[in-house]
Amino acid sequence: MPRTERPRQTAPKIRKTKFQADLAPSEDRMVRALKEELQMSSNTDFLSDALALFRWAVSERRRGHTIVSESATGERKILVFPRLERVAPEVALPHTEIQWTGKELESLAELASRRPAKPTEALIRAMRQT
Amino acid sequence: MAVAIRLLEESDDVESFDCGDEPLNSYLKRHAWTNQRKNSIGVTYVAVEESAPGVVLGYFTLATSSIPRDGLPKKYVRGLPPYDLPLVLLARLAVDRRFAGKGLGHALISEAFRITLRVADEVGCRYLITEAYRERTGWYAKYGFIPVEGGPETGPQKMFLDVRTIRAALPGPT
Repeated sequence: MPRTERPRQTAPKIRKTKFQADLAPSEDRMVRALKEELQMSSNTDFLSDALALFRWAVSERRRGHTIVSESATGERKILVFPRLERVAPEVALPHTEIQWTGKELESLAELASRRPAKPTEALIRAMRQT
Repeated sequence: MAVAIRLLEESDDVESFDCGDEPLNSYLKRHAWTNQRKNSIGVTYVAVEESAPGVVLGYFTLATSSIPRDGLPKKYVRGLPPYDLPLVLLARLAVDRRFAGKGLGHALISEAFRITLRVADEVGCRYLITEAYRERTGWYAKYGFIPVEGGPETGPQKMFLDVRTIRAALPGPT
């Protein structure tokens, strides 16, 4: 009986994107030195790790976190990278405690439970000027 | 006078700043930058003239805070979410006296209102609170701040402004 050959199942091919960059000689030297220092042989691995690090930095700044390096002696440096600042929230205000008396809280609760007041002329001017 | 309002920077010239009030001068000169960068206690915005962009003409400091829900009278608590009510604190606002009367205070507080609305949109907050010198409460009242009664008889007066009131002052669709 002749053997029938089953069609070979092939895994779906993942389409990979080629990435090409024009580097200045100094940047090329920097990449080579980093790869050597990190014991990386392929550009793909290098790019993949760099991408992971960059992605982490973007996510931290997007959450409004500051990226800090701290030396053994406690000297701290804050990373300021203009492109990262584009994703940082515009407003990140720190939290502080206010001391309230019981009567202030009562007054505040009463104010807060009212319907909001109509804006004054000065407030309208403030919000409508550019 | 073309004025820009931006975040305080370490290189800003704050030494010549004089609003006529020593605690407010001292805060800007000694604490504002540290509180902003290292301690995360308050964020300071400064008004600078475009022709001399490093010289501070006026400033305000903002922080977030909250009203403790547990401290509110029971009759007001019903219907409120089970956590403290977030707010923005306008902690300080001052104008150098050499530039007083030129509308800088108005420009600064306008920016503080706009930032408060952004905080409300991005993080969530219901109220803007300030602690005003008693002789300056009239100026804040012009913008709709209402005194919070029941505080100490001396010292700053806490004042309240609902974020919905600020929002209602925005220009409507044209």
